[in-house]
Amino acid sequence: MKMLKSIYKKIFIIISLLFISSALAENSELTDFYKSIRCLVCDGQNILDSDTEFSVNLKEQIKKKFDSGLSLQEINNELISIYGEEISFKPSDSHFLLWASPFLLLLLIFFLIRKKYF
Amino acid sequence: MDECINAYFRNIWIYYQKNMKKTILVPLLGFVILVICIFYYLNPPTEKKSYQKKIADEIFNTQTFFKTKTIDEKELGEFYIVNFFASWCKPCLAEHPLLMAMKDQGIKIIGINFRDDEENFLSWITENGNPFEYVIRDDGTIAYKMGLIGVPETYFISNNEIINKIQGPLFYEDVEKYL
Amino acid sequence: MINSLGNLFLYLPILFTFFFYLRSSKLNESQTILAARVIYICSLIPFLLLLIAFATSNFQTLNVLQNSYINDPFIFKVTSAWGSHEGSILLWVFLINLYGLTFSFFHKKNLLNKQLIFISQIFIIYILISSNPFIEVNMDGNTEGLGLNPILQNLLFVIHPPILFLGYLGLIIPFVISSFILTTKQHDEPLFQQMLIWSKISWFFLTVGIVLGSYWAYSELGWGGWWFWDPVENVSLIPWLLNTALVHSLQVSIKNNQLKLWSLNLALYGFIAAVFGTFLVRSNLIVSVHSFATDPLRGLFLIIIIGYLLITTIRMNLKSISLFNKDTFQFISKESFLLINNIFFICAALTVFIGTVYPLFSEMIFQTPVSVGAPYYNFTFNILLAPIIILMAFAPQIKWHNHHSQNQIKLLIIFLTGFVASLISYFIFYNLFFSISVFITAPLFMQSVVVLFAKFKKDFRFYAQWLAHLSIGIFIIAAVSTEQFDTEENLLFKKDSNNELPLNSGGYAYIENIQNIEKLNHVQILLDMKIVEENKTYSLSPSKNIYQPSGQITNEVSVVNNFFSQYYATISQIESDLVSINLVYKPFINLLWMSALMLILGIFGSIIRKI
Repeated sequence: MKMLKSIYKKIFIIISLLFISSALAENSELTDFYKSIRCLVCDGQNILDSDTEFSVNLKEQIKKKFDSGLSLQEINNELISIYGEEISFKPSDSHFLLWASPFLLLLLIFFLIRKKYF
Repeated sequence: MDECINAYFRNIWIYYQKNMKKTILVPLLGFVILVICIFYYLNPPTEKKSYQKKIADEIFNTQTFFKTKTIDEKELGEFYIVNFFASWCKPCLAEHPLLMAMKDQGIKIIGINFRDDEENFLSWITENGNPFEYVIRDDGTIAYKMGLIGVPETYFISNNEIINKIQGPLFYEDVEKYL
Repeated sequence: MINSLGNLFLYLPILFTFFFYLRSSKLNESQTILAARVIYICSLIPFLLLLIAFATSNFQTLNVLQNSYINDPFIFKVTSAWGSHEGSILLWVFLINLYGLTFSFFHKKNLLNKQLIFISQIFIIYILISSNPFIEVNMDGNTEGLGLNPILQNLLFVIHPPILFLGYLGLIIPFVISSFILTTKQHDEPLFQQMLIWSKISWFFLTVGIVLGSYWAYSELGWGGWWFWDPVENVSLIPWLLNTALVHSLQVSIKNNQLKLWSLNLALYGFIAAVFGTFLVRSNLIVSVHSFATDPLRGLFLIIIIGYLLITTIRMNLKSISLFNKDTFQFISKESFLLINNIFFICAALTVFIGTVYPLFSEMIFQTPVSVGAPYYNFTFNILLAPIIILMAFAPQIKWHNHHSQNQIKLLIIFLTGFVASLISYFIFYNLFFSISVFITAPLFMQSVVVLFAKFKKDFRFYAQWLAHLSIGIFIIAAVSTEQFDTEENLLFKKDSNNELPLNSGGYAYIENIQNIEKLNHVQILLDMKIVEENKTYSLSPSKNIYQPSGQITNEVSVVNNFFSQYYATISQIESDLVSINLVYKPFINLLWMSALMLILGIFGSIIRKI
């Protein structure tokens, strides 16, 4: 019983570490940013993969802003204010339920079965 | 076979009697959720919000093409239209007659040539006619600021605010209320 | 003629089923099986008729007219049968009944066959109501056909849907076995054994189908991507995850009679997930490269089918919870590891489901459309599965019931080595994601080597499992490398200037020639390009194809191998005076496909088991 609990503790630590490091490891490359912007005239592609005028134009505009000193986060906010939330493949933090749901579900399941198995 | 089915239903009945709440509540809840889902599924929300309310200032700072000046806001009046077009865009040609008709009716249209080659743009205008009060060439910056999805796209401006946006070629029904 | 025949054989099985249910109590076992087989065979015929209609280019059938072209190559004419919604649902019905027929040779139990027949007939009714391909067309208009979408004219497309459907529908047998067990309360081991074999079969086909789809996207769509978290990809991933959990959980159920409710539910929800996947693709709710153009009514009927399956499942569960709660393991044991495995896989499946459905939810409730893509899944899905990868290194060696021997020092050494390896990789590549993936997979690689030298009986089954687990580790390293270290550049060749363009990597590229080639149903603009790097020359020939009769233009990708990596080229623009080529370098992408092959081999080996 104790052994099992220690395993679960270790899993929890690993997940938390991964969570933290993943959140910190924001990719600051421009091309990776393009991958997170949606092409609104395509079937779900990002603007890096798309050749449409919309995507090419957006890539140019973003590059201009990036070269002029704006941070990727600021560019992202500007895009959202112009095109709406659907332009970003990364839902904003206001969708807290979405981001937290996998971990909440995990906790929920462990909670529900704790009496039986632990 | 028969006994199997009879036993099956008998079990359900016994279970039902013991746990009336669970046996009714779950299917009922399921039914309600199903009805809600079907309702939303058959009546999806169709309102497309126009996110950008302000016009790009660059429109009034860029040199127009056929008249040697920049556009003066006051000359435009209360209501006018901004239309994005390009020579490489087929639906733009399709909506062109409607634009000419609108010009005849006295509606002021600002044409913005989106990411086009200058020669092609000029010959497009010469061949088909110029329905625009003013024409500006854009490398994509104005389109970006206005939230352009693709050409053709038409914005209806009233009191310097975008009141409507039509994606794709214009049809008569889109415009008739403004005529 | 074919239309009437096709419709006849759609109505006939329903009629037979009706009589079958009426008289089933009066038939003995062999008669029941005979009746069931008649129904199965009858239901197989409509799809075969559709194939014949396509093979003979019978444009009097609406579906053939809409999806085939008189000059399409023969193989594509036949396979256009499943290029549209109607055709693919008919293939769906065909495969359910094929499974049913095969199943009837292994199982004579009435209840199982009856439920299978019932589900398959629901789909036939669905076809008759809203998706009938056998609609007569007047022969006064188009006699050439409207053509098959050129993106689909590819050998991989020929086999990808049938194999994927074989995977989805293979889950129907665990479903019926599971509901049989829950309703009749007969939970003897042979039934679970049967469920395991059929689950492995569907697992095999699902894996092959998903890998084929991924490879098709990579080689056809021209963006160098192999997984886009596209809604349609996600809905194939969900049954795969549940199937994987099922196969592992069943080992416990068979060996020790534990985790039974988990296994049964995984089987039930696995099939429901497969049907839900079909619904989502055809319902017009999702925008994707894969969507069929359909009307909402078709999706509606599928919701009803899913609703029926769900309600049945929930009812069966409510009735049986008390009967199966006999899990007694409490120590570190293979059972507990597999329980954790179940939990994490279910969470992963739910995560993919939530991510796929959330945009719809957000649009309905919050009135703001939102896009959920790779950033979300990379954060949630990858983190969720990371602990499992680590545990996977050790789980096969853990003993059943109670694992006493706890070599703490060995564990510590493994983790320390992994940590050091990931540190080293960080100082070489400066990439945090790659280093994390090294840390996660290091225990797996180390254990894989260690276990080869361990002294215990290693049978065929052991090697199949070893191969499958190892392939996952290799897959992760390859996937992270290819996504983090790939490079892309745009080469602009101008007509009158020097034709050798320098590459970022140090070499240079030039165009040899450009040709216009007339083919059966398209014109191909073929471009021969050479890349010279470090005294080695690579040839690439991307092309643009212009198809008749639609005039649609597709980009054909060209790849060339460099050991485990690939150069990948597409034409982005071709004008009279310039050519623009997109050149991508994908490191270790071949390792990725190799690991997929290893996984498939491992699964296949676990089905065969005795050689």
